[in-house]
Amino acid sequence: MIEFSPEVAESIITIASFVASGLALIAGVGPGIGMGYAAGKATTAVRRQPEARGAIITTMLLGQVVSGSTGIYSLIIAIFLIFGI
Amino acid sequence: MSPGPAVQFYIFGNQNLPVTDTLLVGWLTMIIILIGVKYLTTKLEIRPNKKQNVAELLIEAIHGQIEPMLPGEGWKFLPFIATIFIYITLSNIIIVIPGLTSPSADLNLTLGLALVVFIVVQQQGIKEYGLFGYLKSYAEPVIFLLPINIIGELAKPISHSFRLFGNIIGGLIIVSLIYQAAPPIIPVPLHLWFDLFVGLIQGFIYGMVAIAYISVAKT
Repeated sequence: MIEFSPEVAESIITIASFVASGLALIAGVGPGIGMGYAAGKATTAVRRQPEARGAIITTMLLGQVVSGSTGIYSLIIAIFLIFGI
Repeated sequence: MSPGPAVQFYIFGNQNLPVTDTLLVGWLTMIIILIGVKYLTTKLEIRPNKKQNVAELLIEAIHGQIEPMLPGEGWKFLPFIATIFIYITLSNIIIVIPGLTSPSADLNLTLGLALVVFIVVQQQGIKEYGLFGYLKSYAEPVIFLLPINIIGELAKPISHSFRLFGNIIGGLIIVSLIYQAAPPIIPVPLHLWFDLFVGLIQGFIYGMVAIAYISVAKT
């Protein structure tokens, strides 16, 4: 077991949390795919029924928001990792 | 640079009573709304003039969002939902005035409003099914799902508040990073995107999600 001095341990923790905050933002991939899929489906729906445009956009935004929550969580965790030290 | 509210001064020098810029800008937003409402609704008539048309257009638009999801109760929920819509949207886009920070970039404001929505949701659920019937709805379809249902219900205000907070503060951090890297011209269109567009969309979304939670509790 290697013993580190407190300064070295602290800088290791800082580096690790910066790297971890970068890794946390990988979670942005999933919501991006999901929101793009919803937008694509909404485009198809507007193409098929142009008169229902308002209702389709509202429904699309609600669905995108729910699927985008996970991306926001990862952003919050990244912010806490950077500024919370 | 650190996100979160910056303490401007203390009331009577008491360290337990800080006045943050969230509080000041939040009150400024309320004053702007009050002045706007007072201006738009003086001299109401049967045949509306220009100002009254603007006010009616806004209220009808919000009512048109509530009515399809809560049939027959649009006017009942209008004051609550319209408050959320107008206050959140204006506090999102007030950041375009130089020197002001957005109150929505503070978790205290978003979580506070989300808790108000949470309490209204519980109250509407109890009113619809009675206290026993409402508590019983947590143990459906089988009793084993009780903890998952409770956690799912408690996660609603958390996701509701963190969504707005994360969007606004993410935009703020990105814009301030760009300001450090390329100060003169480049950040200006980013303000258009992050402050105006994202602010308007997120204000709309915050109100729509509140309507959706209430309508889920009633069905």
